[in-house]
Amino acid sequence: MKITGVKATRRTGTAPAPAGSCCIVELSTDAGLTGIGIADAGVRAPVRRLVADMLVGADPRSVTGIWQRMMDAQSAGRRGSAQNRAVAVLDQALWDLKARANDEPLWKSLGGARPRANAYASSIGLSLDDEELSAWYLRLARDHGLRGGKLRVSTDENADARRLERMRAALAEATPEPVLMIDADHGWSVKQAIDRVRSIEQQFDLTWVEGVSRDRDARGLKQLSDAIRGAVCVGKGFATIGEFLPHLQRRSADVIQADINTIGITGALQVADAAFGLELPVTLSAAPGNIHAHLAGVMPHFMSVEIVDPVQATRLFTSDVRIVDGWAIAGDAPGNGLVLT
Amino acid sequence: MKITGYRVEQYLMKMDRLVGDANLPSGVEMLPGSIVYLDTDEGLSGISLGYGGAAIEGLFGLVEGADPREVVALWIRMNDFLHKGGNEGAVCAALSAIDMALWDLKAKLAGEPLWKTLGAREGRVKAYASGLDYCLSDEELFRFYRRMAEQGIDGGKLKVGLDLKADLRRLGIMRDALSIASPRPMLMIDSNEYWSPKQAVRYIRQMEQHFELLWVEEPARRWDYHGLRLVSEQVAAKVATGENLHTLRDVYPLIANHAADVINVWTGQSGVTGLRQIAHLAHVHGLQVSMMNAQANYMAQVAASLPNHNMMEVVDPGREHCLTWDHRIEDGFIVLGDAPGFGIEIDETKLKELQANPPTGRGKFPFPRREGAGRYIVPPAPGEVPWRSG
Repeated sequence: MKITGVKATRRTGTAPAPAGSCCIVELSTDAGLTGIGIADAGVRAPVRRLVADMLVGADPRSVTGIWQRMMDAQSAGRRGSAQNRAVAVLDQALWDLKARANDEPLWKSLGGARPRANAYASSIGLSLDDEELSAWYLRLARDHGLRGGKLRVSTDENADARRLERMRAALAEATPEPVLMIDADHGWSVKQAIDRVRSIEQQFDLTWVEGVSRDRDARGLKQLSDAIRGAVCVGKGFATIGEFLPHLQRRSADVIQADINTIGITGALQVADAAFGLELPVTLSAAPGNIHAHLAGVMPHFMSVEIVDPVQATRLFTSDVRIVDGWAIAGDAPGNGLVLT
Repeated sequence: MKITGYRVEQYLMKMDRLVGDANLPSGVEMLPGSIVYLDTDEGLSGISLGYGGAAIEGLFGLVEGADPREVVALWIRMNDFLHKGGNEGAVCAALSAIDMALWDLKAKLAGEPLWKTLGAREGRVKAYASGLDYCLSDEELFRFYRRMAEQGIDGGKLKVGLDLKADLRRLGIMRDALSIASPRPMLMIDSNEYWSPKQAVRYIRQMEQHFELLWVEEPARRWDYHGLRLVSEQVAAKVATGENLHTLRDVYPLIANHAADVINVWTGQSGVTGLRQIAHLAHVHGLQVSMMNAQANYMAQVAASLPNHNMMEVVDPGREHCLTWDHRIEDGFIVLGDAPGFGIEIDETKLKELQANPPTGRGKFPFPRREGAGRYIVPPAPGEVPWRSG
């Protein structure tokens, strides 16, 4: 089987998350199979260039080698670039093809048994006022049984405490002890983060904090971890395995977060194996169609998947991953289970 | 597709020649063989080479009835099952054997060689020659490395540790033999844990006055991360180690303490799944891995898929009595074919012959540590090795 070309189409959906406007990547092959990946609209140009330069003629079943070749071909330190995200979405489409070639779901091609991925709700990226926030978490707790929630915190301590309580109360519909996490969008200095998190921890038991200060500052995050009760979660947006290294060496990450939108499925699997070596839990940040649920079964120290959109509200595609009773469960459809609509 | 049963076949081989290292420089020519077959309801069998024994019985129930394509999940299930007793010793060998046979099945089901199932771009692995050669005469040593060099192999690893003067002479012979493949062959040495760290530093630094060494293997004991790090800091060569460790857990202290520059990997490290974890951990830490030698070089299937693999050890002492394989060595690379799975098939008739009429010969692998190991050197006695006349 050989890759023959790609369609990278900009589409606009009916809901904001995960991407109201996105790029649908369709890798075509001489076997008639199409591999699908979904990313932000900014990847279109690098996707087309990468496919023309490196993928046409390649066998998609060689996905890990192809990912490595794409990574080797780009210069280091271009984290967050459209190029990185293009490599990641192509990796997703290649894995989709590898699984479709075997006529089996991605979770099985990866070597997993049917995954039941522990899931949590995240309103990151949604702009919700207090009422909407309560309603949103209540819906995810009631309709999908999610027992954990992650909240974007801000500069307003009182508002944060109020909204954390709203999130907690909504999730209490599903469990007496909701799992609470916060994300500060890299807004704080280390000392400020220690101060703020300790203050929040007087009222709330936080499972982890992420994005609280600069995620390249391993020394500072270790200082934070030593000073708070909750775990420090690091890795969202990382696009190379090397970005994780200082955090492994310094033990500044208590939870490793892999983002398949930036590091791809292949990179996430490598990082998960390394994290297992250090006994660090691995969580996966949100992915279009919640296809990250497929990875749960092959990560020996898997912890959770982030769910922003349980039902693919963009209506651009359907997914075979359902969120039921607090678990993300992938079905038996071949490949990653995404179907374009 | 479901796993329905298993069978272990054990046999004894007589190799084409003696193999030996610092612990038994006179060498052995007998090698126990083991093949594990995992059978399925569709008639297909997965095989693994080199391990077996009664411990399989204790783990088989965890994979019985399962789909072999779910191999990583089954590895996790076995590993979780062992959380109390530990994934060690004979149990680790059994887990490794089951995991390998599952991967063989997964690839066979997809109708592709394992390197492709594992996602490699090509079934091609750089090779280096390793003579296990302390028991070879100078002439035999030259012939071995020259034969390897004629296949384009431009690196060699010499067994050393008991006699500096002889080792320097033999390094020169190895280099000369390899020089037809490269004007600057890659030279490695392996002392198989015979030295203390400081003995290693003294010995290696004297060698490095005459030869540039790419790596020194097991210059101190496998778990001695202080000692291995000391060697790495005090010699120019890289320190390679890991072949006698069996899990990610065992390897992590070496990596965390910067004690190894190259990690030796093989399928006995908790199977394909376990060794891949070790390779990924090393990769994230910027370290390379090197695959150990194997019957019919079958582990090249896995090596081809590792992102940080440098080159694989090729020994070629004659261990393929009842095996057929699908690769060739060309221009210094192991080039794998398209046969499904590991590409290994068992000649059942020859296997039964070996079992019915076990060959006899000198010594048997494995052998114990040599007297003085880690404390003082006991050089070969006259007549103990061909290069020390009696």
